[in-house]
Amino acid sequence: MRKQQILNKEIESFDFQSGGEASSNLKNILRKLGVSAQIVRKTAIVTYELEMNVVIHSLGGEITALISEDELEIRVDDDGPGIADLDKAFTAGYSTASDEIREMGFGAGMGLVNVKRYADQIDVKSSLGEGTHVKVIIKLSS
Amino acid sequence: MTKNHSVLLKEDKCEGCTNCVKGCPTKAIRVHQGKAWIKEDLCLDCAECIRACEYHAKYTKTDELTQIVESNYPILLIPPSFYSQFTENTSAAKIKKAILNLGFKAVFDVAEAAAALSRKTLDFLNNNPGSFISSSCPVIVRLIKLQFPDLIEMLIPLKSPVELMAEKLEKKFKEEKNINPDIFFLTPCPAKLTTVKRAIGQKESFLSGAIGVENIYKKIYESLENIKLEQPETEIITLATIWGSEGGEQSILQSWQDINTLSVSGIKEVKKLLNEIERNNIAESIKYFELTSCLDGCIGGVLNVINPFQAKFNLEQRIKKIKEISKNQKLELNISDDEYYNFALPDEITADDISKLDHDFKIAMQKLEQLQKEIEILPGLDCAACGAPDCKTFAEDIVNGRAVRVDCIFMLRQQLGELADELSNLANELPPVMASKKEETDDS
Repeated sequence: MRKQQILNKEIESFDFQSGGEASSNLKNILRKLGVSAQIVRKTAIVTYELEMNVVIHSLGGEITALISEDELEIRVDDDGPGIADLDKAFTAGYSTASDEIREMGFGAGMGLVNVKRYADQIDVKSSLGEGTHVKVIIKLSS
Repeated sequence: MTKNHSVLLKEDKCEGCTNCVKGCPTKAIRVHQGKAWIKEDLCLDCAECIRACEYHAKYTKTDELTQIVESNYPILLIPPSFYSQFTENTSAAKIKKAILNLGFKAVFDVAEAAAALSRKTLDFLNNNPGSFISSSCPVIVRLIKLQFPDLIEMLIPLKSPVELMAEKLEKKFKEEKNINPDIFFLTPCPAKLTTVKRAIGQKESFLSGAIGVENIYKKIYESLENIKLEQPETEIITLATIWGSEGGEQSILQSWQDINTLSVSGIKEVKKLLNEIERNNIAESIKYFELTSCLDGCIGGVLNVINPFQAKFNLEQRIKKIKEISKNQKLELNISDDEYYNFALPDEITADDISKLDHDFKIAMQKLEQLQKEIEILPGLDCAACGAPDCKTFAEDIVNGRAVRVDCIFMLRQQLGELADELSNLANELPPVMASKKEETDDS
């Protein structure tokens, strides 16, 4: 069965008001499809982290979710500024977030670390000035 | 009367407005043929519809006092919140005497079990890793079962104070007096009544029934002034009476130990919090969440008589007085009596798996596609004139075969317009014979 798109949403930079909506929408869609509670939870965490990364760090982007009977694919593409050092970005506690963002309770340096923890596969392509493209796979059948 | 729920509809009073439909936190109500019907599998008995209805068409049916007192050996359990219905100057002893006069054989404070449960909870939290959610408010437990099934594992697997108390008393009366008591609960909310019929985490409730505070308050209040107590009013109630108010449970835990807790009340706020917990956007260092569906906790229960603001003040004053008289600022932490309670919930709490569109993934996918199309077609005004709370829910009803598109007045209007255009086109169309005759006359 080929993957079908179930969600596509634009995310604006610094839009904390609607940040989290894609994650909530996707969660509701998965419940309607009968996906198990544990996988819905994983997805909610992963999507929220990725979504907030776009809100906090990028100039805006979009999130797309595709599904087949076996797996869920989440793609997050943003327009710059890109990640300078990918290894560092996957290090717990490392963050480039401003003090302002940290005061809001974000930027603990756990974003991608958490995504990696809950996702079954993660692929990040990024270079400075060219934006970041994340593809995450979450398996639906254990 | 439905067997599963305590919040019911008085058909003759319902005007078919959609206030309750819009206010329902689980979107469980639809207006159909002018009446607001509750979908049983989605209803939490949270009473938000009772609060929203201006016509008092939603109500709670609890047990009748006359029937209760006719049972073999009626015992009444008083919730901590009940003391908020009186000023602190009306002693607990007097209130209990008034209840006994109504025909009960004995009266007990649920707060005693709440005190024991607090001690057990602290012990549980100190010996188990992770964060936990209180399972004392039945509405919150049902909300999690229904909408946040992945958080079920956070529910603390301990019985609620009222069940603990009822179980203990049932055993005690049997062993010590060879009596089989009928234990009733004086309930501030419909949800606790539902729990009598449908227990959570245990096969059956230890209660025989429940009566709403509003059903007997007047009788108690009116008899208070005639009550003369034989002994001086020295009897005091436990500090755990503070459980009746939001943050009560948390304040007891914190009086013993520096522990990170958070208390949130009001079902809409609780839903927001659970959403944040679900996406890991709440500090893991918070060990315990005290959550109640009613704003301000049980004192905000819809079956109470006194307004919640005064009730909150009354309970605070009473707690102050208990502290003064007992010369104790906090609850005892070590009491050997607690071993009489059987804290653990015997059965696992399971998810209410009803949100899926179909059991078969492929069919669910087709329905999802259909759903997204319907949502695009519908006007998106969320006017609720169709009887559903919003266009998205209406679209889901259509896909599930429980509504048709023309239940939407905008869709109906559009379709009528199209039909009228078609009719007019049809009327202007001439049969071929007449059409050629018309051409001929035009030429001449």
